[in-house]
Amino acid sequence: MTLTNSKGYKQVIKWLKLNKKKPFKFQTDAWQYYAEGYSGLVNAPTGFGKTFSLFLAVVVDELNKRAEREAIILKDKTAKKSDKKFKHETGLKLIWITPLRSLAKDLARAMREVCDELELDWMVGVRNGDTSQSEKLKQKKQMPEVLIITPESMHLLLAQKSTFNYFEHLQCIVADEWHELLGSKRGVMAELAISRIKGLLQEKQPERLLRIWGISATIGNIDQALDVLVPYDDLPKAIIKADIEKKIVIKSILPDHIDMLPWAGHLGHKLAEKLLPIIYKSKTTLIFTNTRGQAELWYQTLLAKDENLAGQLAIHHGSIDYELRNWIEDSIHSGVLKAVVSTSSLDLGVDFKPVDTVVQIGSPKGVARFLQRAGRSGHSPYETSTIYFLPTHALELVEAAAIKEAARTQNIESREPMVMSFDVLIQYLVTLAVGDGFDDEKIFFEVKQTHAFRELLPQEWNWIMQFITTGGDSLTAYTEFSKVKKIEGLWKVESRQMAMRHRLHIGAIVSDAMIKVKYLTGGFVGMVEESFVSKMKPGNSFTLAGRVLEFIMIKEMMVMVRKSKQKTAMSPSWMGGRISLSSNLGSILRKKYNETLDKTHDDEELDFVLPLFERQAKVSHVPKDDEFLIELINTKDGYHFFAYPFEGRQVNEIMASLIAYRLGRVKPISFSIAMNDYGFELLSEQPIPLDEANIKQLFSPVNLSDDIIASINATEMARRKFRDIACISGLVFQGYPGKYVANKHLQSSAGLFFNVFTDYDKHNLLLRQAYDEAFYQQIEEPRLAAALHRIQASKVVIINTDRYTPLCFPIKVDSLRDNMSSEELGKRIERMTAEAEKKSSARKTKRFKQEDEET
Amino acid sequence: MTINCREEALILSKEKAIYWAAKRMLIISDLHIGKSAHFRKHGLQVPDAVGHTDLRRLSRLMAEFDAETLLVTGDMFHNKINSDANAFLEWRKSYPELRIVLIKGNHDALKNEDYEALDIEVYQKELLCAPFRFIHDKPKEFDEYYNISGHIHPGVVLYGRARQQLKFPCFYFSDTCAVLPAFSVFTGLFMIKREVGDSFYAVTPEKVVKV
Repeated sequence: MTLTNSKGYKQVIKWLKLNKKKPFKFQTDAWQYYAEGYSGLVNAPTGFGKTFSLFLAVVVDELNKRAEREAIILKDKTAKKSDKKFKHETGLKLIWITPLRSLAKDLARAMREVCDELELDWMVGVRNGDTSQSEKLKQKKQMPEVLIITPESMHLLLAQKSTFNYFEHLQCIVADEWHELLGSKRGVMAELAISRIKGLLQEKQPERLLRIWGISATIGNIDQALDVLVPYDDLPKAIIKADIEKKIVIKSILPDHIDMLPWAGHLGHKLAEKLLPIIYKSKTTLIFTNTRGQAELWYQTLLAKDENLAGQLAIHHGSIDYELRNWIEDSIHSGVLKAVVSTSSLDLGVDFKPVDTVVQIGSPKGVARFLQRAGRSGHSPYETSTIYFLPTHALELVEAAAIKEAARTQNIESREPMVMSFDVLIQYLVTLAVGDGFDDEKIFFEVKQTHAFRELLPQEWNWIMQFITTGGDSLTAYTEFSKVKKIEGLWKVESRQMAMRHRLHIGAIVSDAMIKVKYLTGGFVGMVEESFVSKMKPGNSFTLAGRVLEFIMIKEMMVMVRKSKQKTAMSPSWMGGRISLSSNLGSILRKKYNETLDKTHDDEELDFVLPLFERQAKVSHVPKDDEFLIELINTKDGYHFFAYPFEGRQVNEIMASLIAYRLGRVKPISFSIAMNDYGFELLSEQPIPLDEANIKQLFSPVNLSDDIIASINATEMARRKFRDIACISGLVFQGYPGKYVANKHLQSSAGLFFNVFTDYDKHNLLLRQAYDEAFYQQIEEPRLAAALHRIQASKVVIINTDRYTPLCFPIKVDSLRDNMSSEELGKRIERMTAEAEKKSSARKTKRFKQEDEET
Repeated sequence: MTINCREEALILSKEKAIYWAAKRMLIISDLHIGKSAHFRKHGLQVPDAVGHTDLRRLSRLMAEFDAETLLVTGDMFHNKINSDANAFLEWRKSYPELRIVLIKGNHDALKNEDYEALDIEVYQKELLCAPFRFIHDKPKEFDEYYNISGHIHPGVVLYGRARQQLKFPCFYFSDTCAVLPAFSVFTGLFMIKREVGDSFYAVTPEKVVKV
């Protein structure tokens, strides 16, 4: 019988018809593939019912199974209604993994509605960090048929005893918003959990076919995304791509004249006037900023411009209290709010129906992120998403034009999946040991099948097993170590205390030390970094969640505040790495530079910035995409060397250090380094030994790895990476915000472990992982090499001038300086001491605040 | 580096110890013997070598200075007797003449007979030895004695241009008290804010530097 003739299919179609709906082709395709036993990935724009493509597939399958069984029973005349056979088997059928807790509530509601209307007696449950203890107990007795869960909670399930009972009737695992999980360690957690559940089923129910599906937005490496989720050769797989295009309109907010836009900056406040009319004419506007600090500032600016917005304007970001955020989200739903200033905390998530306009302030740095944000408006099928781009400086208008082109040509970034995350693997193995215990041979086989650990070597596995059982390898005997032990053939954690501690620390999100902010009169406002609080004195004011607060004291690990009488105050800077321009956007950007002067485009933004480009062409040169521009500028500050690879600040920074190092080999010279997303600057007091002849050699990809190691402080970078690794692998306990760590006598820091392993256990795999992560994520060696190859093939244009150009100006202003120094430690200390003395006697210099990047 | 404190000459060693030559007294703090084994017992992978290094450094100090007394201003042992403490017992045997004095710290929870077996003189709260008071954590009120303490594992940050930062363990001297750096390599640092009249001596791998 074909699917379309089946009873379940007809029933679902009939129900859709009643609601005046018709399934999209990609949805029926998904049902068909599902019925045929496929696993796979659904790729469709937001607002077209991606959820239903898979949820209904499972429902149709269930309805058909029931119909079949009833048919068999009806034939059997001897059967009685009271027979056990008539009863449908209950228990978990579908696991629905979502990256965000906030999504779960609405998903569950939607699924329950479907079940009710189709008269399917399924329960839909939610399990994540917000689930109450009583609800969890209820689930333990009777699992719901559908469980919406986070990767962390899946691991927590595996950390329980007699895990298999939960999965006895499991049919399918769906990973929703898979593009979000892919590329993070949480994705690796999902991969591992799936491998175990699949393994358990194979063991106990070998005849059962477990389907694994993902739902993903468009990304550059969609095939790989499927391979990561379903690496299994025994499962047939398919990618279902919706043949529907989401209409997106991108408009730039332009000032009346180009001179009103600064050459450099990151706030864009001057355009606030232009933003107000857009807010007025829209139902609800989401205003996205790149950083939490920027969000706080924009919230205040808008209120200052129009006091009537008070009560209709809200601010939403990751450091705002959970309850408060919930209230804001509900208010967006009900349409009470006119506008919300937000960071990426609202990138994902439930549909906000009243939102019809989205504004992006400043460069979104990547195409995927921009489109995701655009999609937050006009959520229903065939509705148009409208997004306004508000530039913070003139050159960002070129980015707007580049984004438009990328959106048109669907040139969207890839998400690189994480591999060889030993920290996650160690956590996972201890999780299994805390649960039912594990058989190392079996688990090695399962782990090796996952995408993340495909390249895992037996000796690496042995090292990890030793690490969790004996502490270290035989050379560095770890006496008295105890954690995982072999009991009746299985590796287990025996100590209840250790098991409890481990369960509390399952997860791969490591947050900074945050401290809660609370009103004296009660009520939480949000969280700020501990380091920010330590600088506060009683009576000082700061802004959080759009409120001006007066610091009173720290009590019981909480910042106590009251409302301040001041109108403005400093906003806390939440630390975090800045997001770098993606290489996709960089390359389109280079192309747009061509088009601006040639006028071979129809972007109003490029017309608008033309005067700036003409100025650049007059005093220097506008690089074409097959050219590589270097500006040598001599001012009273010294000798400046500007180069423009357009590779994003991260790669530009490493390239700057590399070139500084190579120049230092020509003659001893010291530089200070600055960079932004477009280019970098080397500044020296002496002339820079550079000419047409040696320039290509300087930017050569030959000997790259060695020169990188010699030029940057790789140890420092690895040490920073090790912070997360130490937490995830269970060496360091991450306290909860506002809570003391219970085991104070076991507290230590990641830095301490980094030192100890460096000194006494050089072969530690976690140490190696830290260096690998630094090399591939921080230094992005492959991208750097590609950029150098491109530069080799380009025509180098060297311009000598005596004044700053429009291109170099933002680098001059925006960047935080870094020093390239080959001085030895002792000298450095001497110099720093001398500098510090100078500083305290001199007037206070203006400090550039480091902005955070919201995650 | 030799400094003058209340008219007494004190040598600050880069091995995080003070030598008071007039009394032939070697002063250290926060040795945390057994901390690494304690961590291992609780499933945290700390190499054994950590504890051994501390004892080797202590031997080096014994060779460098002709100390009659080893005074520990608290947190000599971390929690209970374990394998690391046994290694210390061995170490103790090679210095039978040495007088060891311990002013108890918050982590010192050994039984009295354990201290007796190790031949350690224990003071519950403080030891007065003019002009100094040796105590684990500095007292709340000050008197004529200058306090020498430990407990907080002091560290100092040096800032350079362009966000450069270097952190070091340090000796901290204020008007009323001095704080020793933690002796053990397996300890963290607590950064101290500078106030008027404070002196910091950073412990770098090569030497002690006033900063």
